Amino acid sequence: MQNTITGQAARERQERSRAGGLWLIQAVSGLLLVALLGLHMVAHHFVVEGGLRDFQQVLDYVSNPVIFFLEVVFLVVVTAHAMLGLRAIVRDLNLSPAAARAADWILALVGAAALIYGVWLAAAIQQL
Amino acid sequence: MAEVERTFRVFRYKQGQAAPSYQTFKVKAGPRTTVLEALQEIRRTQDRTLILRHSCHHASCGTCGMRVNGQEVLSCVTNVQELGAETVLVEPINNIPLVADLVVDMGGFYERYVDAHMPYIRQSEFEPDADLPEGIAQYTRYENCLECGLCVSACPVMGSTSDYLGPAALAAAWRVVAEPRGQDAGRAAEAALEWVDNENGCWRCHVAYECTEVCPSDVDPGGSIMALRRKLTGRKFRRLLRLER
Amino acid sequence: MQNASATRNDVRPRRPLRAWFDVRRRHMGSWAFAINRLTGLGLAAYLFLHLAVLSTLLQGEAGWDRFLQLARSPFFLLLDVVLIFGILFHGLNGIRVALVGMGVGARQHRALFWVLMAIGFVLLAYSAWKVFTI
Repeated sequence: MQNTITGQAARERQERSRAGGLWLIQAVSGLLLVALLGLHMVAHHFVVEGGLRDFQQVLDYVSNPVIFFLEVVFLVVVTAHAMLGLRAIVRDLNLSPAAARAADWILALVGAAALIYGVWLAAAIQQL
Repeated sequence: MAEVERTFRVFRYKQGQAAPSYQTFKVKAGPRTTVLEALQEIRRTQDRTLILRHSCHHASCGTCGMRVNGQEVLSCVTNVQELGAETVLVEPINNIPLVADLVVDMGGFYERYVDAHMPYIRQSEFEPDADLPEGIAQYTRYENCLECGLCVSACPVMGSTSDYLGPAALAAAWRVVAEPRGQDAGRAAEAALEWVDNENGCWRCHVAYECTEVCPSDVDPGGSIMALRRKLTGRKFRRLLRLER
Repeated sequence: MQNASATRNDVRPRRPLRAWFDVRRRHMGSWAFAINRLTGLGLAAYLFLHLAVLSTLLQGEAGWDRFLQLARSPFFLLLDVVLIFGILFHGLNGIRVALVGMGVGARQHRALFWVLMAIGFVLLAYSAWKVFTI
């Protein structure tokens, strides 16, 4: 009994700093997204005639370095928020510790892949 | 209001059975009959093997908590006629191991209060110098919480995993932090804060507030969890800005 | 005792999906949690779909125009309204969860929810009108 408590305490200590930290990242990124996604929706759809930019308008828009930077920041924040959200849902599925760790890795890799692909895509569009 | 007949659909399970089942009883209910009284009537006149937990009959012991028509309630203060339904579905509370019929094993639930550094009896806020009675462990904790387990039953996160410390224990931890009392109170408060600051502690809550909704004693576990998080969030931000170690 | 507890647990295994989404007899917070989870899953799926759609830009103007034509069909415009509902609910409820979860305005969380939902309703109505008239 004593051992399990000690073992659990050690495991909890390991996870402690991360747990609250991850939740705070989720909360702060969410609040940032309210602004970033709001901006994204207005700029891309609401102020554009027809609701979507045509091909040339997209290229012109992304060629602005400030816009490019904001879009990349948006991509980073939205991906982090999405992956942390999916992680919270996966954790609530009551998986075994090994499966939960595997899911963490898969989500981290998927998130990283989405980021790399997104930045590459934005850069490639700039070159068109 | 006259006496009416109601159909009671009661959750049944005995140790060793493969799966639980439901059994139907017809019960006469007067204008003031409670669900607990109706169940006791079933025991007296229809089925002696129906087991349930109860003690005080006036919402202060917290032992008769169950789910009535899907809602966590204290059955001793739940009026049968006021439910407004012909059929009354009675089930044990969720997310706590089942013993039999309407009885769950509260052992693990109570142990978490000790882990929360909430002692069985706390120094009186009115008479700090009063002598403690002998056999102290027999006394219940002098706090609002009835330890009925309804919050644990209603919580969507408790319904997902048993690792979560749960609303009752977290509310107890906040009492220890918010109002430290007795010897070593400061250290207990610090230990309680450390105990809840992990992935299965206060950060696991998803802010559904169902615990607060079903609490029969206005403990507001949801508010307590948020208070713990406010305390820890402030500390984390101060550490991030190097204002505190 | 340990074993006995384990067998007792097995008779009523935890069912996470039911715990999240079975909101019968539940209150505002549980509804908000369930819808937040559903919209969150939908928005995460949409993020990947969106990245995939943007890759049609690399096919040049013709590829992008094919997508534009599809996106302007009435069915897709309806889907846009569903998407905007998801964004508004998740975002506005998320403001409450983030603030209350950090201990800000925890006592007023119900009022905060309804104020945010009222704002959301107005924004949704405006957006739906805009989607079909822009």
